Amino acid sequence: MIEFKLNGAIVSTDDAPDTPLLWVVRDTFKLKGSKFGCGAGLCGACTMHIDGAAIRTCLLPISSVAGRDVTTIEGLGTPENLHPLQAAWHELSVPQCGYCQSGQIMSAAALLADNPSPSAADVDTAMAGNICRCGCYGRIKEAILQVAGAALAYDAAAPAQETGA
Amino acid sequence: MSTVNVSRRGFLKSSGIVGGGLVVGFSLSGCGRAPLPIEPEAGGYVPNAFLQISPDNSIRFYCPRDEMGQGVTTGLATLIGEELDVDPAAFDVVFAGVHPDYNNPAMMVQNTGGSTSMKAHYLPLRQVGANTRAVLIEAAAIDLNLRADQLETDNRYIIANGSRYPYGKFVNTAARLQAPEAAPLKSTDDFHYINHTFPRIDAIAKATGTAEFGIDVDIPGMHHAVVRRSPVTGALVESVDTSAAKAMPGVTDVIEISSGVAVVAQKYWQAKQAAQKLEPVWQEVPLGRMDSASLRHDYEQLMAGEDGVVAADEGDIEAGLEAAHSTLEAQYWTPYLAHAPLEPMNAVLNIADGKAELWSGTQSSQAAQGLVARFSGIDPENITVHNTYMGGAFGRRGFLTHVIEVTEIATAVDKPIQLVWSREDDIRHGVYRPSSLMKIRAGINAQGNVTTWDAKRVGGNVGVDTLRSMLPGLFPGLGDGTINWMVGMADTTVRGWIADPTSIEGIFEDYDFENLKVTHTTVEHGLPLAFWRAVGHSYTSFAKESMMDELAIAAGVDPVEFRLTNTQNNPRLNNVIRIAGEAMREMQPAQGRYLGFAAHHSFATDVAEIAEVSIDNGKVRVHKVTCVVDCGIAVNPDVVRAQMEGSIMFGLTAALYGNLDLEGGAIRESNFHDYPILRMNEAPAVEVIIVDSGTEPTGVGEPGLPPIAPAVANAVFAATGQRLRSLPLKLQV
Repeated sequence: MIEFKLNGAIVSTDDAPDTPLLWVVRDTFKLKGSKFGCGAGLCGACTMHIDGAAIRTCLLPISSVAGRDVTTIEGLGTPENLHPLQAAWHELSVPQCGYCQSGQIMSAAALLADNPSPSAADVDTAMAGNICRCGCYGRIKEAILQVAGAALAYDAAAPAQETGA
Repeated sequence: MSTVNVSRRGFLKSSGIVGGGLVVGFSLSGCGRAPLPIEPEAGGYVPNAFLQISPDNSIRFYCPRDEMGQGVTTGLATLIGEELDVDPAAFDVVFAGVHPDYNNPAMMVQNTGGSTSMKAHYLPLRQVGANTRAVLIEAAAIDLNLRADQLETDNRYIIANGSRYPYGKFVNTAARLQAPEAAPLKSTDDFHYINHTFPRIDAIAKATGTAEFGIDVDIPGMHHAVVRRSPVTGALVESVDTSAAKAMPGVTDVIEISSGVAVVAQKYWQAKQAAQKLEPVWQEVPLGRMDSASLRHDYEQLMAGEDGVVAADEGDIEAGLEAAHSTLEAQYWTPYLAHAPLEPMNAVLNIADGKAELWSGTQSSQAAQGLVARFSGIDPENITVHNTYMGGAFGRRGFLTHVIEVTEIATAVDKPIQLVWSREDDIRHGVYRPSSLMKIRAGINAQGNVTTWDAKRVGGNVGVDTLRSMLPGLFPGLGDGTINWMVGMADTTVRGWIADPTSIEGIFEDYDFENLKVTHTTVEHGLPLAFWRAVGHSYTSFAKESMMDELAIAAGVDPVEFRLTNTQNNPRLNNVIRIAGEAMREMQPAQGRYLGFAAHHSFATDVAEIAEVSIDNGKVRVHKVTCVVDCGIAVNPDVVRAQMEGSIMFGLTAALYGNLDLEGGAIRESNFHDYPILRMNEAPAVEVIIVDSGTEPTGVGEPGLPPIAPAVANAVFAATGQRLRSLPLKLQV
């Protein structure tokens, strides 16, 4: 029995310890937003956050997430309560087929959590592990930079909360 | 005012029935009445096969075409919403079940492909919207005791004397009326939604992981299947020891099916692990003796030989050569390619009580239904097909061997089954864009006119393999013998009499060639072939536009001017070339960057592209692509831009990386490490210029692809002086 946190709730499974996290999330916990693309950590469609870091989960044994904090696309935002990246994805019509976009957004969210004001080159580097076969790269990049820019503008407009004094 | 002859097209002659009971549609194919695959909601009004309007004013749109990312749900909702006066984003869009009313008007079967959807539905779906709006107005006039001409509409509401009444208020009355067949359509000046940009209607679902793809379908009692197939296509199982696989946890069944050995387990990972324990021995087939070098040798021999079919013959090519100021001859190679959509092939099938239910994202629900019928013995009318969003298709999801497999498995094991292919299955056991060897001999005169164009292509024929793949599903009642005879006739015909149009399309049509000859020689080695985005144009454009560049440079003429000179009889392509040429003249590439130009007509659309490249450490780097497109009226200009962007990235992956090699008849590549896909850090910026020509819409999903490979190759020549005549492009170092 392996226990971990999934989108804020503690869950446990008796799936075999070598079962990849992706298949436990999809087949056992029935969360289908994270996708299977290559089974080899090459395409990023299965990206989730583990303790906040963007991780490919199609090869990651469930035993290695015992006691850890897993967030999937379902835990990031919902159609009624969109994450700012998801809102930008809609506004800029980023998706085509849409299959890779859960993974793209999870990678992007981890990037912005780590680096709230990335350069275009930072975005390229952080997103190079996520394949989009439809070729939506320009829009993905634009959406990330737009959200980062909006956050920057918001921070600049907000009164300083801490003076450090 | 343009209208369609609806009685001829057979659309819309349907009776509305409120509430439960049978929903009846009248098919356009003359097959008689078949019940529409529509579940009526309580009090819902179903005026035709495409709409259901509920008393709470929710409006469901039964989308007749399949969504593979091309934006067809947004586009078709826009067409019907424009005339019905409903914001496309307000529709509850569902994928239609199988019924002749949902046939693609361009194909007469229920298929999606060929960049046909906007063109084929532009008038028919608008007419459906207009007729339905008209009957709602008539019903409102009766209920409100007003004249129809006193009523207006505004996004799902009837406006009367300044008050707003939801469409849903009038469905009971509307259901008793006969909708008109040819209500007037809007003039283009009055469009609210068509030719306006707004977000795709599926973007929120796809950004939140809530869009359901075939692989996401989960039904009670579902078991998971994984299939081991022969590394060499077409080889059958000679023997297999299944004991180790059967002993694995969760495994319930191990069975032989026509394509290999299937392992069924309670969970996917269990099936996947158990399938590794199988050690099948495969029969030998002739393809097993082939490798890439021997295959290429066959192509070269046939190119040098005299065999072939003359596909076009105008004027006198020898006289044209004599009239030429300079002549060139060159040979071009393009390899086998896989589609590699990011969602691997999959299907869910439940067979119970003599009925079947299939869930799968396909480009032909009709063929999917027929294949389940053929391989289960269940009548098509007892088979429900639920289409889903497709995680990419690019032609791949018109070829449904996975539906055959899931039917064989579910029939044998008597359990609801989900079959999922791996990425390795997808690359190694799929259907392929054929490889092609093309030779062009051409001459130009002192005025820069092409005086002769003598083109030959050697390769396989997608059309024949498409028949082989589609006929069993589209005609489940036809016996295997009849189908084999038909496919054999088609094969004999294209080998000896008339070239398969998809084999040579695009190699000769665009320019004013006075003396022209096109020859085709078939060679097949047993790899199954498929439509792959832009089909024949995906490779002929490379030969044609490279040769046009070579000719211009040999004659010392500007390549854009040269193309303008030779498109005097092709004004729309000429206009696109002119606009792109003007944009190119304004460009001032940074030092070390070079421009290449190409143009191509495909799927009734004209596209020119300019690639800006540099050479970094012996590798081609594409920085920017400018794309000029004339696709008639852009139903949603932003979707058109997205399709040009996507086609360019898809074509760049092929131009820079795409290659499949054969070793002992097996595909050597297996996953994204050796079949790489362009990534964000390699993706160019793309600027799209849409020509506002105002004509009816033409193709969008594919025409952006053909020009990109030659545009890049031509830029590489400008940068290095190396003329690369093979894809993928590899510089000599």
